[in-house]
Amino acid sequence: MVSGRFLARRLGHGVVVVWAIVTVVFLLRYSTPGSVVTTIAPLDASPQLKAEIAKELSLHEPIYVQYAHYLGDLLRFDLGHSYVTNTPVRQLLASRLPQTLDLAIAATIVAITIAIPLGVVSATRRHTPTDYAATSFSLVGISTPNFWLGLVLVLVFAVGMGWFPVSGPARANGEVISAIDVLYAPQLAGRWLIHLTLPAVTLGTYFTALLTRLTRSGVLEELEEPYVRTLRSSGLPPVVIRYQHVLRNALVPVVTVLGLQLGTLIGGAVITERVFAWHGLGSLLIDAINDRDWMVVQGCLIVIGVGFVVINAVVDGIYAQLDPEVSIE
Amino acid sequence: MITPRTRRALRRTLRRQLLPKLGVVMFGLLVVGALCAPVLTPHDPTTQQLDEKLRPPIGFSGQTEQTSSQLVDGEVKTVTETTTVSATWTYPLGTDALGRDMLSRVLYGARTSLLVGILGTAVAAIIGVPTGLIAGYYGGRIDDALMRSGDVMLAFPSLVLAVALVGLFGTATVRIPDPWVVLGITPSMPSHVVLPGTVVLVVGLVNWVWLARIARGEAMGLANAPYVLAARSVGASDRYIIRHHVLPNALTPILVMATIQVATIVLLESALAFLGFTGTTLSWGFDVSQGRDLLSTAWWVTTIPGFAIVFAVFAVNLIGDWFRDALDPGIDAGGGGGP
Repeated sequence: MVSGRFLARRLGHGVVVVWAIVTVVFLLRYSTPGSVVTTIAPLDASPQLKAEIAKELSLHEPIYVQYAHYLGDLLRFDLGHSYVTNTPVRQLLASRLPQTLDLAIAATIVAITIAIPLGVVSATRRHTPTDYAATSFSLVGISTPNFWLGLVLVLVFAVGMGWFPVSGPARANGEVISAIDVLYAPQLAGRWLIHLTLPAVTLGTYFTALLTRLTRSGVLEELEEPYVRTLRSSGLPPVVIRYQHVLRNALVPVVTVLGLQLGTLIGGAVITERVFAWHGLGSLLIDAINDRDWMVVQGCLIVIGVGFVVINAVVDGIYAQLDPEVSIE
Repeated sequence: MITPRTRRALRRTLRRQLLPKLGVVMFGLLVVGALCAPVLTPHDPTTQQLDEKLRPPIGFSGQTEQTSSQLVDGEVKTVTETTTVSATWTYPLGTDALGRDMLSRVLYGARTSLLVGILGTAVAAIIGVPTGLIAGYYGGRIDDALMRSGDVMLAFPSLVLAVALVGLFGTATVRIPDPWVVLGITPSMPSHVVLPGTVVLVVGLVNWVWLARIARGEAMGLANAPYVLAARSVGASDRYIIRHHVLPNALTPILVMATIQVATIVLLESALAFLGFTGTTLSWGFDVSQGRDLLSTAWWVTTIPGFAIVFAVFAVNLIGDWFRDALDPGIDAGGGGGP
């Protein structure tokens, strides 16, 4: 079991990393070249107007005062307002997050359901055509840029076959729908799923390939262990040995690397959203950078950074469940 | 250090296995294509020839649509004419929407990808290797402080951080004169290679942690090796020990990780170029984005540069696997990937 002390230490560590993340993000925004005022103010703005804008954003304050305000606002979950639309950043993020979560979770499900069986089969039937096929697939998979894969999938399955929509999230009455809406209105599930399929496969392919490679090498290593021979000699069926004993042990390093690679998943989501005109955090971030809307950029970076820390804490919890030594340590 | 034993191990794996051979051949083709781009193709990759636009690759036929306004029965009407365009050996891989030769663009794109991949990895190594060695060698608080800062870096996906940094600081480029043009062999080709300078720095800056982690792990094991203790007992400074005993013995795993990073960075560069964040338009990722709106009419404009990216990253990954299998530094198969 996961001990309370382990959880407390993990939480403390998480808080420090979150603080560091928000500080780095603040410094990034602070060091933006060019004045924010020129971004916001109209071209023919009078000096008075510019001064007023600067005062409104408390840009005249010294850096430590701005930093203190920023931390204080963050504690109240106030992420400021967009420079461009003046919408609260928190509201923008809340409207975009469900879409990104849909995409990331769907991609993870695609990856896990394909990669783990594939990795185990590939390892237990080493040097057979099945293994070569799985190994080649995973090598090509980690070498393929997902923005290109997405476009090729669109070319074949949307433009060519016409099975899926070319881009964009599912909508009902003009509103973008996500998994939560589907829970309340199950009749939308079909439409939601058909829009989600190509983006999820696009984002999931790299992860599937990576996970297959990791599972294969993990299982291969475990199969060499003496306990496997003992289990085999005691007459346990190979399926039980493979999936109950070997896989469980082989998954320990897999989970670690997976936690570290989650950033890749989120980064991939950003670009996948771009390809499919997905209405998520990634599109919001890229648009905000193009518009020099640094408050929105800041909000996106904080959500992504903090999200990464939270997910990693969860991964560590799973890790501790799989390998009791970790939590006792 | 690259000892004779290391070299033997590499050679043995290369001889026995098929994939490393394939990797070396593919990477070789890539390097030759990049170095000799101006002599391998007669077309300037940036020259626009609108009357040659959207020619399909050899073996395919394409169509272009031309809309024009015409006066029909006293009314202005928009007329769309569809003309069939045939392939020609003058442009074996076809042309893009502005009539630029795809083959030239693929060859010149290899220059950008390889330069950014290798220089970006060098930047990552310059930051990451000393950091990791110092953290692992000293341990304790220094280790904590350095590696925690690495954890903060890891909390931002490298693509997200790279996009934010390039967005903040703009896209400076460095123009390197092309030796083929300087020597007068191919005077009609572009005179400079445009290296996206900011991107090289940024991709190095967002990827150093991986190299630091490997270097740290090695240095931790070596900090108490008998020869390190011996060197310390005769009064060698820490600086001397790290440079002459720890680094050479940690080099093999660092090399394996660096190879993986080249693959990661090539993918990262292509993603940044796709988003239009690199400041050079002679890049595979940028070309893929150019073909986006032509998917239904001219599939090759997107598809061909994408194949080039897969080819390059695949080659580097094969070489990475070769190094890993031959030298067995205990790095997980996670490997070279990116966005």
